[in-house]
Amino acid sequence: MKLMLKLILAILFCNASIFAQNKELLYDFYEIPQSLMVNPGVKTSQKWHAGIPVISGLSFQGATSGVTVNDLFANDGVDFTTKVQERLLDVMGNKDDFSSTSQIEGFNIGFRGRNRPDDYYSFGMYGEMDIISYWPKDLAILAFEGNGGNNIGRSFDLGDLNLRGEMINVFHFGINRKVSTALTIGARAKIYSSIFQFQSINNSGSFVTTLGQNNIYESSINADMELQTAGVKGFYDIIEEDSGTTQKDVTSLFTERVLLGGNLGLGLDVGFSYELNPQTTITGSVLDLGFINNSKDIWNYTFNGSTTTDGISVFLPEDIDDVNNDLWQELIDDIDEALPHGENESSYISWRPVKLYGSIRYDFGQGGGSVLDNCGCAVNGGSGGGSNRDYYRNSLGGQLFMMKRPRGVQAALTGFYQRRFGRVLSIKGTYTVDKYSFTNIGLGANVQLGPVNFYVLADNLLSYSNIADSHYASLQFGFNIISWNGN
Amino acid sequence: MFLAMKRLLYSVFFTAVVLFLTTSCTEEQDFGQIDDLRVTPTLASGLFYIESDEATINAAGALNSFYSQEINFDAFNEQYVAERLLEGVIIYEMDNTTSKELRIIIEFLDEAGRPLDREIFTIEADPSETVVREVSYGPGGKSIDILANTSSLRVLANNLGDGTSVSSAEDPKIILRSGAEFLFELQ
Repeated sequence: MKLMLKLILAILFCNASIFAQNKELLYDFYEIPQSLMVNPGVKTSQKWHAGIPVISGLSFQGATSGVTVNDLFANDGVDFTTKVQERLLDVMGNKDDFSSTSQIEGFNIGFRGRNRPDDYYSFGMYGEMDIISYWPKDLAILAFEGNGGNNIGRSFDLGDLNLRGEMINVFHFGINRKVSTALTIGARAKIYSSIFQFQSINNSGSFVTTLGQNNIYESSINADMELQTAGVKGFYDIIEEDSGTTQKDVTSLFTERVLLGGNLGLGLDVGFSYELNPQTTITGSVLDLGFINNSKDIWNYTFNGSTTTDGISVFLPEDIDDVNNDLWQELIDDIDEALPHGENESSYISWRPVKLYGSIRYDFGQGGGSVLDNCGCAVNGGSGGGSNRDYYRNSLGGQLFMMKRPRGVQAALTGFYQRRFGRVLSIKGTYTVDKYSFTNIGLGANVQLGPVNFYVLADNLLSYSNIADSHYASLQFGFNIISWNGN
Repeated sequence: MFLAMKRLLYSVFFTAVVLFLTTSCTEEQDFGQIDDLRVTPTLASGLFYIESDEATINAAGALNSFYSQEINFDAFNEQYVAERLLEGVIIYEMDNTTSKELRIIIEFLDEAGRPLDREIFTIEADPSETVVREVSYGPGGKSIDILANTSSLRVLANNLGDGTSVSSAEDPKIILRSGAEFLFELQ
């Protein structure tokens, strides 16, 4: 029990404290090639780019909408059980969640079409881990307080158990096309190679103990619950076997799954950028419209049925001749039979968490020279109007982010300001409001030193004074080589 | 050229890391506190219910037993439960609408069938209200070991009155209800 509790808290808080999905700093930060990954229709200007393998894009995001690490683990002399009761059980609801997303790019390469300079092609591979667990409020209260005392008559919602997580490797290929001076569109096809996936997202049922019709207490349960897993049992078996080659076997299985050897899926990203006028641009994108077909290494657990019990009952004269003394065992067997539970290997489809971005940007403050002076791509050159939009040093705007989560859509609103200092440096500041924080101020910088590009984006800076007390933390950075000419 | 670029990358990377580390901090955390967590839920459940009509009691005759049964009852002595039982109460409720005084005896037996404890309920004919008894176990009450070692219950119901009279109440019965609320230490 203690080990299990430690494990659960460790998973919840380790994820939450390091690493969410919103990349408001990267979105429409078109000086950074990785902005293509959050809007395949973003404005592109480079001739080609190559991300430095493994470190071209690293992002870690974590969020908790309720309790923070500091709330529970601060060395403040308050009894831990009291803190759990007052700061966790009394405060958090079943819409509060712990979530984390981390991404690491294997490689990311882009190039402009030789024959179609208005097209920019990009492809690559990245790994992603995404976990969300809603706070199972009623189940936690049942475990901590029980069904007795003040909880007689309280119906515990078994549907509060709601979690999902996955680790995948993604191979992608995207096309970004400048359709006109004002409009750029893009799309990206993805093949998902699943390493593992688990979800328990459609649970329902209740458990309630009331004053009984016959006996003093009567307990009723009805449950329709399922935990679906794909790719988990393979790792579990290796670790369980503990043959002495565990590490090698895990690595081998992991590598196989990364390289399309596990469950596969397909996905699509689409996006656009449209200039309403030379100074005003709107953008939008939809990411991860896709699914994974989980048919290999499936290990599901089900628990469903309904029953009511008030203990052992004897009615006379009906039971007068019943000399069976195993009434207790019969009661247990009856409950067990009414609540079948078991394992199966049924395949299932898991949907990717769809994300939607939208933004409006106003550029102002003409500069002395274009940021993209050396672009040899014919995109921002004199042809086609050759507007001087890239001369604007300042951008001001707003962004909307929405993401489908197991319990509905999660949204965030961002206001941003971006300042460009010639070609070398560009800085973006953001203020974001979402369910995790009302004080999320982020700062991002893109540095271009010759062909070498480096960017770092960090969210919720105010929380850095005590990172353990943060509801949200995010860090992204990466290196690229970018060329604006034919070299 | 390659070395210069590598140096540049490293310096930018380490500058970023140093900046992050110098600008971020955290209050002291003590993750060992988790060992101090106490999870002590109160669990409630119906235990045993017996109901008999007056005809069955009359059929057994005056001053006779109308029900006697030993019932396997492992609710408390399952190892997981027995080790975590802290304290609690068993609540008994009796209603007697028959025309006779009745006695119900519940004996708590260990695995060898030896009596560990007993509760005796004597209830007069047709009392005006429900008779309630709460028996506490644990600190301030009976030993919790009684329950932890109980493997079966022996239930004996005796008619202390005549074997012919019939109550004027509608559907006269003797009913014994029981339920338990116990505090467990899960963690």
